[in-house]
Amino acid sequence: MSVDFLHPGEGTAVDTGVPALEMRGIDKRFPGVVALDNVDLTLEPGKIHALMGENGAGKSTLIKIMAGVYGKDAGTIRMRGRELDIKSPRDSLKEGIKVVFQEIALISEFTVAENIFLEGYPTGKGGSIDWRKIRADSAALFNRIGFNVDPAARTGSLPVSQQQMVEIARALAHEARVVVMDEPTSSLTPNEISLLFTVIRRLAALGIAVLYVSHKLDEVFEIADTVTVLRDGRHVSTRPIGEHTNDTLIQDMIGRRIESLFPRKRGTPGSKVALSVQGLSTAKKLKDVSFEANAGEVLGFFGLMGAGRTELAKAIVGFDPITSGTISVDGRGLLPHDTHTGVRLGIGLLTEDRKSEGLMGELPVYQNASLASLGAFARMGFIDKAGERKAVQDYVDRFRIKTPSLFQQIKNLSGGNQQKVLISRWLMRGLKVIVVDEPTRGIDVGAKSEIFALIDRLAGEGLAVVMMTSEMPELLGLADRIAVMCEGRLTAIMSRDDATQEKILNAAIG
Amino acid sequence: MEMSELTQSSAPRRFLGGQLLGSSQLVLGIILAVLCIAISIAAPQFYSEANIIAILRQCALVLIVASGMTMLIITAEVDLSVGASLAFVGCIGMAVLNSTHSLALGMLAALAFAGGVGLFNGLVVTRLKVNSLIATIGTMMMLQGGVYLFTREAVQNHHRLISFTDLGAGYIGAIPLPVVIAVVIFAIAAVTLRFTTLGRYLYAVGANERAVRLSGVRSERLKLFAFVVTGLCVGVAGMILSSLMNAGQPTAGRGFELTVIAAVILGGTSLLGGRGSLFGTLLGVLVMKVIDNGIIILGWNQDLQMVVPGVVIILATYLDIIRNRANVG
Amino acid sequence: MSLASTDTMKAGPSMLARLFARQELALLLCLILVIAFFSFTAENFFSVRNMTNVLGQASLALTAGIGCAIVFISGEVDISIGSLLATIALPLIIIMNDTNSLLLGVGGALLFGLIIGVVNGYLTAYAGINSLIVTLGTMFIMRGGVYLYTGQRAIPDDAALDSFIALSDGRLFNVVPYSAVIAIVLLVVFAYMMQHRPFGRQIYAVGGNPEVARLAGYDVRRVKFICFVISALLATVAGIILAARVGSAQHTAGLNFEFQVVAATVLGGVSLAGGIGSLTGMALGVLILQFLSNGLRGLGLPTEWQLVITGMIIIAAVAFDEAKRRRIVGG
Repeated sequence: MSVDFLHPGEGTAVDTGVPALEMRGIDKRFPGVVALDNVDLTLEPGKIHALMGENGAGKSTLIKIMAGVYGKDAGTIRMRGRELDIKSPRDSLKEGIKVVFQEIALISEFTVAENIFLEGYPTGKGGSIDWRKIRADSAALFNRIGFNVDPAARTGSLPVSQQQMVEIARALAHEARVVVMDEPTSSLTPNEISLLFTVIRRLAALGIAVLYVSHKLDEVFEIADTVTVLRDGRHVSTRPIGEHTNDTLIQDMIGRRIESLFPRKRGTPGSKVALSVQGLSTAKKLKDVSFEANAGEVLGFFGLMGAGRTELAKAIVGFDPITSGTISVDGRGLLPHDTHTGVRLGIGLLTEDRKSEGLMGELPVYQNASLASLGAFARMGFIDKAGERKAVQDYVDRFRIKTPSLFQQIKNLSGGNQQKVLISRWLMRGLKVIVVDEPTRGIDVGAKSEIFALIDRLAGEGLAVVMMTSEMPELLGLADRIAVMCEGRLTAIMSRDDATQEKILNAAIG
Repeated sequence: MEMSELTQSSAPRRFLGGQLLGSSQLVLGIILAVLCIAISIAAPQFYSEANIIAILRQCALVLIVASGMTMLIITAEVDLSVGASLAFVGCIGMAVLNSTHSLALGMLAALAFAGGVGLFNGLVVTRLKVNSLIATIGTMMMLQGGVYLFTREAVQNHHRLISFTDLGAGYIGAIPLPVVIAVVIFAIAAVTLRFTTLGRYLYAVGANERAVRLSGVRSERLKLFAFVVTGLCVGVAGMILSSLMNAGQPTAGRGFELTVIAAVILGGTSLLGGRGSLFGTLLGVLVMKVIDNGIIILGWNQDLQMVVPGVVIILATYLDIIRNRANVG
Repeated sequence: MSLASTDTMKAGPSMLARLFARQELALLLCLILVIAFFSFTAENFFSVRNMTNVLGQASLALTAGIGCAIVFISGEVDISIGSLLATIALPLIIIMNDTNSLLLGVGGALLFGLIIGVVNGYLTAYAGINSLIVTLGTMFIMRGGVYLYTGQRAIPDDAALDSFIALSDGRLFNVVPYSAVIAIVLLVVFAYMMQHRPFGRQIYAVGGNPEVARLAGYDVRRVKFICFVISALLATVAGIILAARVGSAQHTAGLNFEFQVVAATVLGGVSLAGGIGSLTGMALGVLILQFLSNGLRGLGLPTEWQLVITGMIIIAAVAFDEAKRRRIVGG
């Protein structure tokens, strides 16, 4: 019952009743965190199955196990009753499981057409590559799905949204039984999204089982037949979409009311400008961004993937170079434009990419915490280790950081506790402005509310907090004002009271 | 979570940076002891005073450069040009001594040259962002070619300065002067790495340069510093070597870089940066040089001395990878 | 039918060719300039004899450079090839002296090279050790081994087979040295592989983005492993040609050869970062360096300048490549 999208009609009739893919009792652990705990998932041929959950719920881990990227610690995977032993992506592809990942998985130096056929080049006599067939077939494929991209273009030169479409097209170029799409719309335009939905419906009509991973309610209601919700790595529910309302889905995903997630304790922000950014542009992304953030305020930045949030965060703290514009902290300009000056003026970044930009994984917790404030513990160049450890211990106690000792290597802590250590790093230094980029990425739901409480407390203590996020609840729950970005530009700034999901999304699409 | 138990039980304050170092250094110490016993059984003259002094002198040269190299590798960079630089430094130092008859000026010239080479390497790596393995291979070739353009044959000692001869052959009490110099440099480097903010930053840069930069620390300067220090160490070692040989030899130092790096990695310093200690390096140097010495006094072919560091460097890196994997799992 | 008409639709190598056309054109221009410069300044430079001589000299680096470039494109480095040149001459010469058979000698040498390639490849791809460290290690182990075995004395080619000697001084149609013919044939074969065989494209994919290659079902470790084997075998061929040229197995054969090849390869636009570059570029890089050193010698410059210049070229080429990459990737 495998179906080749290029040659429809050659597939056999849809045989419902036998699941296309059945996962039972899947467990997966990472150091310091249980990613999946006894998760079940059943995909029917010809049906569109949505997989929902917040960030960190375990959606990505589950599909990575399906794709052979991770091995599972326990559980079974069956395809039409036959148990599969998936050890690598190759095994998964051989079974006709095609996964479209959220991160672009294309070779940027290759042409679009070559990327389409990366999994298996069509070859002519003697095993040489049949480039003519590659060109013709990819053109035919694009034509069939109504996708308008030059197959001869260098993939890296395309905008992110088109690369995403190339990814999706690639899943259709070979025989597939199961197609998985992980947040495929995160960087697509509305037109491309409707194109995508048409393609997905056609896939289902051809008898392919589709798994659609998303945390966007409206999309799921539009396209899915069945919804499975994960939370904290556990299976919560699997129901036909007809049995769900917005509220029941949110209830399943969050498991508690939003208010309890975002306890707001701080008062109203002051009017003293702590950070002023004027006419900021960078070579790659940002175009003429201007805004101000007040002391005691949380200014939330929203934007779709590729909108330029992370670029903005890195530019205003002096990490990435800028081409024009000024940044000033408490009225003092960030000149020269580097992090050394930035930190001296009192602006720092809590990075979204903890592993490669935040943590020194091999080093103990206390050294990670004191990194930015080491000068305060120095006597003629020598470190006052007792004083340093006492100060760190203080933060470990205050923030209830769970670590066996100060000497534990930080890589062995859970994501939430790592994040608390990194927040401590900045508090020990003493900042006026903190830029937080996706502060709850890769953090268990339980720990999320603690991080929110911490951010609330930071603002309460008079810091200006600039928060970059792609999570609507986070944005609406925490921010005093909301700024929206699209393609490197600032498209709107509104107060929290004026903001609605619709307004924000409209500004994000541009 | 076995890691946490392991960490807590193994006296966490003993070594800065890596808790597992303790055990691997113990292993290294045992290897060293076994080697010494085995060689002395096969060749009793191993324990003669003359031989021990010879080993220590040999160790001194390697240890001086390895002290700088340990700092450099802790910052996740490496310098392959130290061997070529060592030879060049000896020639330049000797030439300056011949023309000025001043040990101070000769030393100064040697340090300036070797420090300059370190600075050049550091700038190429930090400014031009060239991978340090490749960049220093480039420098190595320039120095290898350059030294022959500077002098076709050995620069002989025409100045007959006694203080210069003492640099390699002299004693303080019963201890050879090069060993004293090496111990002093080793101690300064060890204290710096373990007790100062500078040392802490060096580990931090190796562990995660971007995190360090985001914390407002100028990471490039730290790497530059480590390159220059390594260069200066080469300057000192180069002068001692030329004193020992009583000439500046353009062919000296071939393979020296490999011995130094092998010793550092063997001592538990990770090429990935952020992990290591000078005490481990000391043990690594001793192991390498005892093996070398064993090859000589057992009358084996001296060409084995080229093979040994090659094997050690691959094995030690492999062990480091295994240690890392065990660490993660 | 909104898509572009077929004549503008190109995929695969034609596109790649277009991408690198400018760089290779620049290299070609550079080569012509070098030749032109020395034709005017150095005596006896611009003659068929000298040109073909240079081609013959370049054949060693051309042959080994194919392997070097392939390993680079896969995202790794192999600097053991210089020592390999010296090492494989031992089985070659010894077997030929014993059996008087070129075939057996070459077979023995290739077998030896194969073993080295397997060792390098295994340690890098499967044991996960940095390839520069691995090949630095095997470089010293092999060189030390040759010193040990020969006692630093050359082992002469007593068999002196005509077919073997022809490798050094024989010329096709009395013009092109056989060694150059071998190099060119290998170059064409491997350039075809890199552009038109699935395995060649896998090498580019693995070097360009190993994670993506893995997701596309490639066995990244196997691809890298094979690249090291190819590199060792091609270096073996170069070693056979060298042994024929010097007529013996020498412990100093191929000293610093690996660095000259690396310099030529990076000069030819093959990126150390992997996934970028072409064998054509590498070949142009080799020719530029070879003509440069030939011309400099013609001008009477000491040969050590070659080392200095090669070192500078390595640093400059990698720095240039790095700057270009940062401009493309950004950040």
